[in-house]
Amino acid sequence: MLLELLTKRYPGMRAWLTQRLTGLVMAIYSVLALLRFFILQPESYEAWLSFFQPIWWRIASLLFWLALSLHAWLGIRDVFKDYVPNYGLQMVLQKILLALLWIYLAWAGWLMLA
Amino acid sequence: MQNNQQKHNETKKLRPGQLSRPKNLNLFTIRLPINALVSILHRATGCLLFLILPLILLLVQLSLSSAEQYQMVVNILHSPLVKLILLGVAWAFFHHFFAGIRHLAMDIHWMTSLMKARYTSKLVLVFGAIATIALAIQLWI
Repeated sequence: MLLELLTKRYPGMRAWLTQRLTGLVMAIYSVLALLRFFILQPESYEAWLSFFQPIWWRIASLLFWLALSLHAWLGIRDVFKDYVPNYGLQMVLQKILLALLWIYLAWAGWLMLA
Repeated sequence: MQNNQQKHNETKKLRPGQLSRPKNLNLFTIRLPINALVSILHRATGCLLFLILPLILLLVQLSLSSAEQYQMVVNILHSPLVKLILLGVAWAFFHHFFAGIRHLAMDIHWMTSLMKARYTSKLVLVFGAIATIALAIQLWI
């Protein structure tokens, strides 16, 4: 039943659940990041580097950014759907949004893994 | 109501088939219930956070690239005006965070009655303010 709801037959349901799950992922990462920041107190360049040194943290950060990309895609797309009545313009804006989010994701990937 | 609508239609020359709707362009005459206020702020803060994404990436990149660049970023973040902007962005984040948690709670049927929803709306605003004030204390003291 649940799996059926999440297939391509129900794109609205998928978007709804994606928005919630990515939100949850980002909330957990945010709390972790704040805790880590307050425990490690990185107040020099070396300390700041070692803050981003562990591979698990880099992967977690990238996972956060992936969740953020999906979350922003659905959220800003909804804003366009609500406030841009001109369908053609709305499609253009959606494509720009998508391109930006891909660039940001690639940028974040490069920062965390390169 | 029906009567008003008819009057409205008569006084305005309408093309055949055109619907006449009452328009109220002065948004300041609309008083938002607290739930609606939290809701529109959730959307507005989401948009703001989306807009500053490239700045976040840029700051992370610069701060990690070398000791000099790191120092430059630290200096920028320590200037009073930037601190104020940072506080605004932080409030946007906190509001979006707490309003999002409220949404998740309602999705699992927590706090869904009108009275409870109003109460959690207030909580979201209060938590956002407390978190922002706590950060302000960290930044200035």
